[in-house]
Amino acid sequence: MSVTQVPMLEIENLHVSIEDTEILRGVNLTINQGEIHAIMGPNGSGKSTLANVIAGNPEYEVTEGSIRFFGEDILELEPDERAQAGIFLAFQYPTVIPGVSMANFLRMAVTNVRNARAKRDGIDQKPFTPREFRKLMREKMELLKIDESFATRYLNEGFSGGEKKRAEILQMALLDPTLAVMDETDSGLDIDALRVVSSQVNDLMNPNLGILLITHYQRLLDYIKPDHVHIMITGRVVQSGGPELALELEAKGYEKLLAEFAIEA
Amino acid sequence: MSVTASSVENLAAFTADTVRALSSSRNEPEWMLQKRLDAFAIYEQLPMPARTDEEWRRTDLRMLKPERFAIETALQTQSGTLETILSGSEHQMQFGAADQRAGLSVVSDHGTVWHEAGELPEGVIFTDLTTAVSEHPDLVREYFMTQAVPADFGKFQALHAALWQTGTFLYVPEGVTVDLPFRSFALQTTTGTSLFTHSLVVVEKQAEAFFVDAFQSDTAEEASFTSAVVELFLADDAKLRYVQVQDWGRHVWNFMTQRAILGTDSELKSLEVTLGSRFTKNSIGSHLRGENALAEMLGIYFGDQKQFFDHHTWQLHESPYATSDLEFKGALKEGARSVYSGLIKVEEGAQKTDAFQQNRNLVLDRTSRADSIPNLEIAANDVRCTHGATVSQVEEEHLFYLESRGIPRAEAQKLVVEGFFRPVIDRIPVEEIQDFLQGAIARKVGY
Repeated sequence: MSVTQVPMLEIENLHVSIEDTEILRGVNLTINQGEIHAIMGPNGSGKSTLANVIAGNPEYEVTEGSIRFFGEDILELEPDERAQAGIFLAFQYPTVIPGVSMANFLRMAVTNVRNARAKRDGIDQKPFTPREFRKLMREKMELLKIDESFATRYLNEGFSGGEKKRAEILQMALLDPTLAVMDETDSGLDIDALRVVSSQVNDLMNPNLGILLITHYQRLLDYIKPDHVHIMITGRVVQSGGPELALELEAKGYEKLLAEFAIEA
Repeated sequence: MSVTASSVENLAAFTADTVRALSSSRNEPEWMLQKRLDAFAIYEQLPMPARTDEEWRRTDLRMLKPERFAIETALQTQSGTLETILSGSEHQMQFGAADQRAGLSVVSDHGTVWHEAGELPEGVIFTDLTTAVSEHPDLVREYFMTQAVPADFGKFQALHAALWQTGTFLYVPEGVTVDLPFRSFALQTTTGTSLFTHSLVVVEKQAEAFFVDAFQSDTAEEASFTSAVVELFLADDAKLRYVQVQDWGRHVWNFMTQRAILGTDSELKSLEVTLGSRFTKNSIGSHLRGENALAEMLGIYFGDQKQFFDHHTWQLHESPYATSDLEFKGALKEGARSVYSGLIKVEEGAQKTDAFQQNRNLVLDRTSRADSIPNLEIAANDVRCTHGATVSQVEEEHLFYLESRGIPRAEAQKLVVEGFFRPVIDRIPVEEIQDFLQGAIARKVGY
């Protein structure tokens, strides 16, 4: 466990709109290093919006509240600056970028992130040589059972759903984040792929890392054990608890839950 | 560029006397002089293209007065070393390593600046066009502005036939394959003038060749005029790869006409790269004359700083079972404008034609604009023709994805634009050219 006094991620009263429709209506959430949090909720509850806002997606407008990362307000930071600071978003639907090879993209991302962190920490650090980088990339790809040929393919082009998700975890492994937000990483994965992906995430877990899992189903939480579970409905965290909360929710079902909170919502 | 004009006293206007002076300075045979004079008469008869002509509808020529640009009639032989020819022009295409080319010809408004050919297989001719006129008159008479781009093709082509100054000739005889590229560079060294340069490539039966044309000059204040004609002949079973990189200075009005004639089972792979000039009008066509011919026609253009590029392409299916595969991609920024219009024409009897045409444009800011007009004209009933055109912006979703990986926005934008062109660049199997194109695109993206 971290001994930092300032929480790693502290979200307070976060209100977010997209095209004048309010989606998040006062979210509060605190995550420390070494913790795994899961946010569960029905479709449209604002889970993906929260993930995107943490990463800095300019499509969303924060109208009220704050997001602090180690005490620093990050709402004014550009997405690349947040990534350099240690925030990583594993996308629910990773985008296809034609003509940009996976290897080239990964090298550029890793170089930018490492340089920024070395500068921040005042470390004199040499960038990877192309050879060193290739070696590192191959190692990580092997762990994720990603075929070597992916390196020369265009980013996410022609990748199956499962391959895209594995490629996201590959990026997470290479970028070594402090906060990883994983948006529906389990969706579109068959059981074998789910095992590979979760075991990688578990391997990447360390005392410095905090993870926010966003999921619709309990299934993922059988493989990646959360310390805290939050339930999100219509733009608010309505209930927080331990891992048992996920099981309760599974048993109860979202419909009943929605009915319970309908008055408040 | 260190090739500079030592004198400009031989600059002359567009007159029949100029045609005679040009011809005589080159000691041309009577038939060539006559061909020039006939062409000049056609030029004088034809009206300037008007915007009522479909091909010129989106192209404003009012600012252009070709007669304003005098032409160098004298022929000078340049001395010096190859290294000095391009010095000071580091952003432009380089000649490539000597062991990576089959031959090199550098021509300018003063004639041939440099010429070298390694040990070529017997019968291969690689020379400047003026030399070819005297040493290989039969070949030049047969192919030069007779079938592919005849002198009466249009106003500008007639002017070219009358006033062509320089150029490169490649002839590859039957059954001969030359793998390494022949490279031709046309340089314009005197601003305020005209340059007429011609590339003539003849590949005989079952022969194979690779030809790279580069046009370049440094940007100058005073406007200049360039006219290029490219004629490519592929006999039955011949294969030709043709790459053209146009990187004229921003003061140049550039007119280029390219036609290829493809025999049975022949295969043309062409790429046009348009980077320079203030104004470019490119007309690029392939006549699929023989059965089962294949034409791959690729194009890349990147306009900035109010450049205007107009590309017209023709996929002319004249025989059955032929395939044409065209992909032109362009990016525009800083008030640049492009027009693309392409025609797939399938003649009666050209059954089983397979024709594909795609034009994609990436508009990088609000001041720039791309127009795309694909066309089909089909007189056969058992064909497959596909065409498509897109004009779009860089997608925010792509930029956010890259930024979320720690890549700053400017670099992300560069990556996306490079990625847009990458699939076309990957189709050119010469590393040096790939590197040049990638560098040129990166410079154009800037930021």
